[in-house]
Amino acid sequence: MNLRKPLILTVVASALVGSLVMNSFSATAASVPGVSSTEIVLGMQLPQTGPASPGYNKIDDAARAYFDYVNSKGGVNGRSIKLVVKDDEYKAGRTITTARELINNDKIFAFFGSVGTQTHLSVVKDINRRGIPDLFVNSGYSGFYTDPKKYPNTFGGLGTYTVEAKILGKYLKEKYPDKKIGILWQSDDFGRNALAGLTASGLKFEARKTSASFVAGTQGSIGLGTQIGQMKANGVEIVIIAAVSSATAVAYATAAALAYKPTKWAVISVGADSTTFQTILGARGTAPATSAALLAGTISASHAPAAGDADDEYIKAFKKINDDFNKATGSGKVWDNNVFQGMNLAYLATAALLGAGKDLTRAKLVSYLKNNGSKLSSAAFSPLGYSNTTHEAFTGFWLGEYDASLVLKPIGGTRVVYTTDSANGPVTVSNYKRPAIAADALPRVG
Amino acid sequence: MSKVKSHKVIGFRSTRLAIIFFLFILLLSMQFGPYNQFQLANISTLLIAVLSITLLTGASGQISLGQGAIMAVGGYSAALLVTRLEISMWLAFVLAIFISALFGLFLGLAAARLSGPYLAGTTLVMALAIPSIAIRFDSFFSGDIGFSVDYGYPPDWLTNLLGEISIEEWSLYVALPFAALSLFAVLNLSNTRSGRTWRAVRDNEVAASLAGINIARTKVIVFVCSSALAGLAGAIYGFRGLVAPSVYPTDLSLLLLTAAVIGGLRSIGGAIFGTFVIVFLPDVIEKITKFLELPETISIYLPALMIGLLLLITVILNPRGSAGALEHIRHRHKH
Repeated sequence: MNLRKPLILTVVASALVGSLVMNSFSATAASVPGVSSTEIVLGMQLPQTGPASPGYNKIDDAARAYFDYVNSKGGVNGRSIKLVVKDDEYKAGRTITTARELINNDKIFAFFGSVGTQTHLSVVKDINRRGIPDLFVNSGYSGFYTDPKKYPNTFGGLGTYTVEAKILGKYLKEKYPDKKIGILWQSDDFGRNALAGLTASGLKFEARKTSASFVAGTQGSIGLGTQIGQMKANGVEIVIIAAVSSATAVAYATAAALAYKPTKWAVISVGADSTTFQTILGARGTAPATSAALLAGTISASHAPAAGDADDEYIKAFKKINDDFNKATGSGKVWDNNVFQGMNLAYLATAALLGAGKDLTRAKLVSYLKNNGSKLSSAAFSPLGYSNTTHEAFTGFWLGEYDASLVLKPIGGTRVVYTTDSANGPVTVSNYKRPAIAADALPRVG
Repeated sequence: MSKVKSHKVIGFRSTRLAIIFFLFILLLSMQFGPYNQFQLANISTLLIAVLSITLLTGASGQISLGQGAIMAVGGYSAALLVTRLEISMWLAFVLAIFISALFGLFLGLAAARLSGPYLAGTTLVMALAIPSIAIRFDSFFSGDIGFSVDYGYPPDWLTNLLGEISIEEWSLYVALPFAALSLFAVLNLSNTRSGRTWRAVRDNEVAASLAGINIARTKVIVFVCSSALAGLAGAIYGFRGLVAPSVYPTDLSLLLLTAAVIGGLRSIGGAIFGTFVIVFLPDVIEKITKFLELPETISIYLPALMIGLLLLITVILNPRGSAGALEHIRHRHKH
């Protein structure tokens, strides 16, 4: 490399000119970042592309559809809500960059609904250090929420894996006391949290006999033959799956190939999305009727009504908004659990922004959620756990079984919501009664 | 006597170029907003990793598709040292260089027996396998959760000197000196006897062997130097927020190789240019797609597509990269 003096001068001069040009475009800082008299800017990071994107990439469009609906009704305290979305491809290294982009370039007021545990782990410390509200993270990892001193601005958007597993574990232990229960889990935070919850409920698993694990993300390449074969060889009658939907699909297909028919499958809700299940098996050549028959009868849990529950008032209202306002094309707009989740979190965010008041600041929003967040309602049948001691979202789940049309129906016909915490608290029946949705489908705060 | 003088000249030129790079980036950062300051920190960090490829592939002809994995070795070393032994981040970075170099020594011993596609395949397997080790031995490496680590806060003396320092500026102040030092080291290495020896091995192993060069030893030494750089880059890269398997995916290795190829595998200036391209091109494309109001279904795929296209065009039209093209133009002007 031979840099001569004129070249050096040219480079330095170009740098100066370039930087001055860039400076002329830089926006002036507002007193509260992301809040003006007419607008509130929220930022979301999620995988819009890449292997982890199917299903999750519908959440942003659904949330934006609800915000657009709110804006069409006059916004929140006269301000419209703008959602800026960045594709982090589910790579933590990329998430760090997109977070900085949202903070510094888009000047967001708060993060909202970001998807993924590992990806969010890479930025959660930085977000909290800067005092930015981190609303309704789409992750059930309890480590984000159970110690508010560590992450004071981060609030959950899903029930934790531990809570759900404790409730599921208690039910299975009582319902099937004589059956041999095993678990297939992915060896990451999700699998470990679920395993901890099931163990806390009194279930016991034996490594290489009734407990089989695999490295998350490898299900497609390894086929889970060894793990399912182990279950079959050890006579496991009830198989619990704590893995993502693509792994659930592979596990069911492998079991069918091995002629292994456990008495019951029970799947943690994150891995039991029927649309993703059927899509993945469909790509492997399984007819929809066959894949539906495989999943039918499976036990799973939910904090909210099933997306397919056409009679539910929230589902009806959200579906209508999705039809009218969702700008996604093709399958991105098709109603399912992911669309429902995106819309429900947007409803919750609208309520929180309303509650924080007209003189909106980051500190006021966080304070409002800590002190009043548990009083907010959404489509969920479960109460919210937000308080000064925990930032967990939905603290309750009801258990159901997939019917032949793959709608999750309450076990025994009546929906019973159980509640517990992510620690050692007991599982009890929740007496929470979900408030009705207003006629205009907008949240009300007291 | 002339040899001593020659080394002095080389040392002076390397120092001058490293200082110019340092001042150039610093000057840019002073005019930029926080996001672009952060991107300059990314450039400084990734440049160290791209230089490790320039050294390995450009100078000695050994292909590695696993530099991301060596970055993971550096990242995990530094994170473990900071979180378990509670030593300072700076010392951890220095120790990460040595640990990665040691890893490079073992890798080099195996690599010395391999070449071409066999070496590329082996390093690719390494890129796939090393992050999985963290998951397999999760009690030690903290599994998927990894280690939440960052650069911390700037020291008081620096704040007193410069005034309030943003998180983005601090990221740059951490990464940039290491980048300048790495640049200095690689420039020095390339232009000294070692560099000439490596190039001799790259160009013709038989001729180099007949000239008395120990081929296997040379290859191992290059691997050690390259791994030291990659490990340092990995440590700085991880301390942006998280050291975990998902921070060092396989495609990080491929992205680094892309930067080196676009810039020109044998050129240090090319490495700088290539790093600028992979960091800033996605931002430029985003601005263009916003201006043209392209639908999301197209805009989200464009950055990867454009970088891929650029790589293909480089390989087809000018395999020596932008540096080679610049040299070609300069040569034509002379004649």
